[in-house]
Amino acid sequence: MKNIIPWILIGSCVALTATDEAFAQNASRNPTSDTIPSSLMTFFVTSEPIGNGGNLGGLAGADAHCQSLAAAVGAGGKTWRAYLSTQARPGQPAVNARDRIGKGPWFHSTARIPDYLNRRLDRPIIQSQIHGDTLEEAQRGSNLTKEFALTEKGRLANGIGDPLPTRHDLLTGSQPDGRAFTDNADHTCNNWTSNNKGSAQVGHSDRVGNGNMSWNSSHATTGCSQEDLISWGGVGLFYCFAVD
Amino acid sequence: MKAFSLLTAILALSGVAPSVATAQQGMPGGTPMTFFVTSTSIGTGGNLGGLAGADAHCQSLAAAVGAGSKTWRAYLSTQARPGQPAVNARDRIGTGPWYNFDGVMIARDLAHLHGDTLPLARLGNNLTKQTGLTERGQIVPGLNDYQVPRDGDWEYVKTTPYTNRHEILTGSQLDGRAFPPGLDYTCSNWTSNSDPAPGQAQGALEAGPGRPNAQIGFPDRNGGGNGSWNSSHGTTGCSQTALVRTHGVGKLYCFAIN
Repeated sequence: MKNIIPWILIGSCVALTATDEAFAQNASRNPTSDTIPSSLMTFFVTSEPIGNGGNLGGLAGADAHCQSLAAAVGAGGKTWRAYLSTQARPGQPAVNARDRIGKGPWFHSTARIPDYLNRRLDRPIIQSQIHGDTLEEAQRGSNLTKEFALTEKGRLANGIGDPLPTRHDLLTGSQPDGRAFTDNADHTCNNWTSNNKGSAQVGHSDRVGNGNMSWNSSHATTGCSQEDLISWGGVGLFYCFAVD
Repeated sequence: MKAFSLLTAILALSGVAPSVATAQQGMPGGTPMTFFVTSTSIGTGGNLGGLAGADAHCQSLAAAVGAGSKTWRAYLSTQARPGQPAVNARDRIGTGPWYNFDGVMIARDLAHLHGDTLPLARLGNNLTKQTGLTERGQIVPGLNDYQVPRDGDWEYVKTTPYTNRHEILTGSQLDGRAFPPGLDYTCSNWTSNSDPAPGQAQGALEAGPGRPNAQIGFPDRNGGGNGSWNSSHGTTGCSQTALVRTHGVGKLYCFAIN
């Protein structure tokens, strides 16, 4: 056992070096600055939560969180929206997450620059596919995989099977079709203002858990405190989409 | 301790951990296995010896791990031929629920497995990289595992246990039914291991006139720009070499009907 570990470490280093070399060989053909990818990014999972449970300061607070995280990696030039629904209140209509995020298609944080014919080299996610608007689209699925759902820093959010703590519960407050719930129960931590009572609907960024694959509407939390979210396998992360 | 958790983390990330940890099927007293991905392929490309040959492969792999008392069927469709009706994969596999090596349910019933309605399809079934285990409890290496330049090369894959081989033969549409007759989606009903003639769009991953081809899906739900477990795209041909070229190896889904 003792002897194996150094070899694994050496192995990983060799693998990393090989990748670097391959990258270096192509460096003359690709811009080298790492600010380039973030400018192509139009989708990310927040690397950190706001940290106040389900109280995100409403949609405005959540959007601001997306915007500031994006700005920190050089992608603040876009308009960012949190993928969150709010439920109808007297005198205040419901807001559907899917209606807030623009048209797409969306690319993640490690998207590469288009080739010389301006063709994108990466597969995006598509509005109708991530929401399964037709039966065929819903059955086939989308490109929103664990490996696509990277943070703005290009990292994976820990999912099932990864080292703890699990961070795969992403707040959405939405139904699988991306729309707000229409019943009287709370699905949005009181429209993202509560950090104690209530419940939030969450999806799984790794597409694993609760017996389904839903990225946006897998199950509800019991409670809206930061501890409640953690007890379910999340920390209060959410999806951010660029509308432009 | 630190080094040990690092090792564990590396193993967990690389997907090796389950295969070294497991020797016996399922948990003691747990639910018997009624679903698995074959740990090995028949090895002759898309020629499986027809449905009978594929079923026998499932049965013998199951028997080797003590699950041979059940009746196993390969999840494969065949297309209609003159005087021979189509066979739908979904009609061959019983009614579920189906449980994997660990006793975890991958689908309640046929509707859950295939997403027969919009709400079911949007949520999806429970077949994931973590649950799509072989009859020996191994995770099927998928996209982002063991990316080496030669993992699309059959000669290399034969001697390398953990290269990406996540393309599972199904020959089926998204709803689990056979494709209409005409273009080949089933390597001639699982009897052909030939490749397209030169000039017949050998790089394409879809059916075409006169092109030997098989429809495949991904147990890791990752590839082809969609997460389809049973109908993501086609192959570059029906030879073993062609299957490996796009990270398949001719594995099958097996379901117990009883």
